[in-house]
Amino acid sequence: MKKALIVLEKEWLELRLQRALLWATLILPPLITALAVATFFVVGKISSGVSLPATPLPPEFAGLSLLEIGQAIVGKQFSTLFLLLPIFIPSVLASYAIVGEKRERTLEPVLATPIRTWELLLGKMLAALIPALGITIASAALFVAGVLAFAVTDRVRAVVVTPGWILAVLVDTPLLGLIGVALIVVLSSRVNDPRTAQQISAVLIVPVLGLLFGQLAGVVVLGPPLALGIGVILAAIAAASLWFAARVFQREVILTRWR
Amino acid sequence: MAHAIETHGLTRRFDGRLAVDGLSLAIEAGTVFGFLGPNGAGKTTTVRMLAALIAPTDGDAIVAGHALGVDDTALRRSVGILTEQPGLYDRLSARQNLRYFARLYDLDAARVDAQVERYLHLLELWDRRDEPVGTFSKGMRQKLAIARALLHEPPVVFLDEPTAALDPEAARTVREFVKGLRAEGRTIFLTTHNLPEADELCDSIGIFQCRLLRMGSPRELRAGLFGAGTVVRVVGDAARLVPLARSLRFVRTAHAEGDTLTLELEDPETRNPELVDALAAAGARIRYVERLQHSLEDVYLRLVGGHK
Repeated sequence: MKKALIVLEKEWLELRLQRALLWATLILPPLITALAVATFFVVGKISSGVSLPATPLPPEFAGLSLLEIGQAIVGKQFSTLFLLLPIFIPSVLASYAIVGEKRERTLEPVLATPIRTWELLLGKMLAALIPALGITIASAALFVAGVLAFAVTDRVRAVVVTPGWILAVLVDTPLLGLIGVALIVVLSSRVNDPRTAQQISAVLIVPVLGLLFGQLAGVVVLGPPLALGIGVILAAIAAASLWFAARVFQREVILTRWR
Repeated sequence: MAHAIETHGLTRRFDGRLAVDGLSLAIEAGTVFGFLGPNGAGKTTTVRMLAALIAPTDGDAIVAGHALGVDDTALRRSVGILTEQPGLYDRLSARQNLRYFARLYDLDAARVDAQVERYLHLLELWDRRDEPVGTFSKGMRQKLAIARALLHEPPVVFLDEPTAALDPEAARTVREFVKGLRAEGRTIFLTTHNLPEADELCDSIGIFQCRLLRMGSPRELRAGLFGAGTVVRVVGDAARLVPLARSLRFVRTAHAEGDTLTLELEDPETRNPELVDALAAAGARIRYVERLQHSLEDVYLRLVGGHK
């Protein structure tokens, strides 16, 4: 475990020296949060002139005024983005940490040290996951604060900041991030360009987008049972992904089969 | 003397293709062993097996007292390896690169900085210690990679092409450093294509092409492949003297190139006066008579060429 922390420390040191990558990646959650809160605030002021969408509204919108519905729709849409960020950010960081290291041929000297491969893998995964989850959860907290501060009524607050969403942010997003990083590890055995790995891993956003559109269409209600159910499924997928990533991330495999 | 590296029938296959075939060798502690062979001969695979990076398909080995496959973590702690590519983190400074590896090699906190400083000084990189490695020349990168392999003071060091692509001055610094390592009692396993370098540095040499073709000291290899001989330089064309030379019963081979007659013969020290008399009697005007010296390159080409 000690060596995993040494790897993590080195990864963060390198990350700090890649200012452009660091800023481009980590600035996204605060930007989205600022945009979400600002839009939420503005819609709360002007939505009296907005007409209702043609699509059926989610059941929890029943009984809301037009002003409340306007804010609730904006809040719901932005809230789902916090489920996408933990896929995007660790994928970018992990692809540079693993595919980048493969491309620079720096892995072999590391593998020649007494480090165990699981320590190396864990260090790299944590180095990508911790900042991503930290900044996502911090941004989500700011978003919640913005919603609580600027919602036109308590009913809007209750519709946007639901227990299901909070559970999803706290339970499902770390698992999504973990799956994203595991996918990058698996892709590392095949690709030599971090951008290619990121592009392929972007496929993970499809189920989250499905959740977003399902919610907006009123087909899916993200309550605690669904959030936990998704969590169970994601945990199973994450376990399988980690198992597969650990199989790919072995000295022998890296040195003889990674191309 | 104890053996730092011993292998018995070490074999590695990749998807049925034989990369290393039954390698058996013993390398004495505190010596430099040169591992020579053409590209694709299996040298890097051998080094990777001995450094416990990949497992052999068959056979066994003991490296620095550790049996391969038993406690590979302990084995890795006892060896240092300079890989084919320096594999350094370009954005990190020389010091940050070395600190990272010193910690991975389990050096305690108090020793990390002391060892990093020691090797940065030894390899003349101290003045550039805080600059990003990406700004370093090839020679400096190679020296830093060598430092990395030695931070934990391993008794056995694998150096894969340590002077490849270095300018003559940097290559000389590295060669002197390797000599210094031997003087400290370390065992060096050196793979190189630079045959004069191997001749200069190595106590013993293995010529390898998937399997070990020959092993011995440079002198033993030369003596084992080529007989003793004499080179005679004459005034004018030496070709006319070849039939006469070949007619002498103690001459095994004779050939001429320009004014030089090269002969392999039995016991040159006894036979040279007779040879000189015969040549002079045939009208040859002799400038020099020298001992025939075969280079390691001759040995290598004969063995590897013969194997092909």
